[in-house]
Amino acid sequence: MAELVLEDVTVEFPIFGAGATSLKTTLAAAATGGRIGRDTGVTVVQALREVSLSLAAGDRLGVMGHNGAGKSTLLQVMAGVYPPTQGRVIRRGTVSSLVNPAMGIERDATGYENILIRGLIQGVSRQEITRLTPEIAEFSGLGDYLAMPVRTYSTGMLMRLAFSIVTSFRADIVIMDEWLSVGDAEFRERGAVRLRDLIQATGILVLASHSPELIDRECTAVVELCHGGITAFRGERPLGGG
Amino acid sequence: MNGTDGSSDEGGSFADWLQGTRQVDLWWTLAWYDTVLRYRRSLLGPLWITLSMGLLLLGMGPLYAVLFDVPLSRFYPHLALGVIFWHFFVGTITEACQVFIAAAPYLKQASFPLSVFVWRSLAKQVIQLAHHIILYVPVAIWAGVGLSSRQLVFVPGLLLVLVNLHAISIILGILTARYRDMAPIVASAMQFLMFLTPVFWMPDALHGRAKYILWNPLAQLLDVVRLPLLGAAPAPGTWRFLGCFTLLVVVLAAALYSSCRRRVVYWI
Repeated sequence: MAELVLEDVTVEFPIFGAGATSLKTTLAAAATGGRIGRDTGVTVVQALREVSLSLAAGDRLGVMGHNGAGKSTLLQVMAGVYPPTQGRVIRRGTVSSLVNPAMGIERDATGYENILIRGLIQGVSRQEITRLTPEIAEFSGLGDYLAMPVRTYSTGMLMRLAFSIVTSFRADIVIMDEWLSVGDAEFRERGAVRLRDLIQATGILVLASHSPELIDRECTAVVELCHGGITAFRGERPLGGG
Repeated sequence: MNGTDGSSDEGGSFADWLQGTRQVDLWWTLAWYDTVLRYRRSLLGPLWITLSMGLLLLGMGPLYAVLFDVPLSRFYPHLALGVIFWHFFVGTITEACQVFIAAAPYLKQASFPLSVFVWRSLAKQVIQLAHHIILYVPVAIWAGVGLSSRQLVFVPGLLLVLVNLHAISIILGILTARYRDMAPIVASAMQFLMFLTPVFWMPDALHGRAKYILWNPLAQLLDVVRLPLLGAAPAPGTWRFLGCFTLLVVVLAAALYSSCRRRVVYWI
């Protein structure tokens, strides 16, 4: 059962200048009572400010906002990347982040090997990957290229492979930054169908986008972020504290 | 990633460490490919390092045996194992500094137990060690190192070394993620420690107070893997010392892991 609850989540990034990351400066500051290493004060950037959301199975959440509004950070918090500085995240179910499908691809390994590597990173068992491999291979349409090192692929081919892999693993919560669309016209069409299948099978979808049309089409609720806080909300029912 | 439990962000740091440790198929496969991919497009791959190590031993053995006035049959096995294991220690410890920084692409996309990446790095170094240890075989045969039950002590010795290196890797990985100049500090420290550790020289050449430098932890760790393979037994004091040292690094690693594990991703 998928569930994703954020309670008053605040995320603050420490920005270490050269001064603060240096052990010497910190030690010097400690040893001299802060006289020498006075510049160890760490700047903090608040990326999310008291965000509350409650998502349950069936929810399709769109996230909108300007560049730097906190969309990516929100997605990362939901994926479990950043434990919130304050507040709480409750997550039930498996999570699949499609933000960067090519994450973990080894350029010197073959396509087939990358299916295994990427699958294991995704948390899928070896048996399951072996079972899914023929289907992934067929969908990617890369044929004999799958036995070649990925570094010989064009960018488009690499993205087709990554797309085919990540969309083959079901998850309770799917997180996406813009609609995943790769390859040529023919592949895009097949890809859209496959992505829709994945989304239909998932409990919760969180989709960040700059396109209102896309969000209207795919989502049942929308939050708008501004300076790390939720400024607007649209949906059939309230999504928690917001 | 599909965190199967993933119930919440709460949960003990030991549970987190254990979860990563149990993902053997993930970190071993990644470590395996780290090695295998270096063989592609290269005839010898990692064996090139073995080969250059072999050349080093070939040149250094007879020369230093004369310089130190030690019979070559006694010096050669000592030197070979010293160089092989020192290379393993240095490789693991210097790479440990970058372990989380290098894992940033993974850690920024999904939730992973940090221990996965520490194990990946250590496993890669163990695979390397398995390459280099081949060099010892001809040396041992030539020097007439006999097989005896004492060599079985190598197994607990190696396990103890792995526990220590794993804990040290966690400590250095976390500290370097936060304080970037740890990496060059550690690199210099290892260079310095190489001279204080009987990698090249015989420990029994030391007299009087100089013997105290044998109590550096790396010299002790070297003893518990080297002496058994030479057919000798590490001193009881070595085991006692390493017992305390292991406890210290494990406690320190556990403390850092539990206090900083959620912060590391903010630092990288």
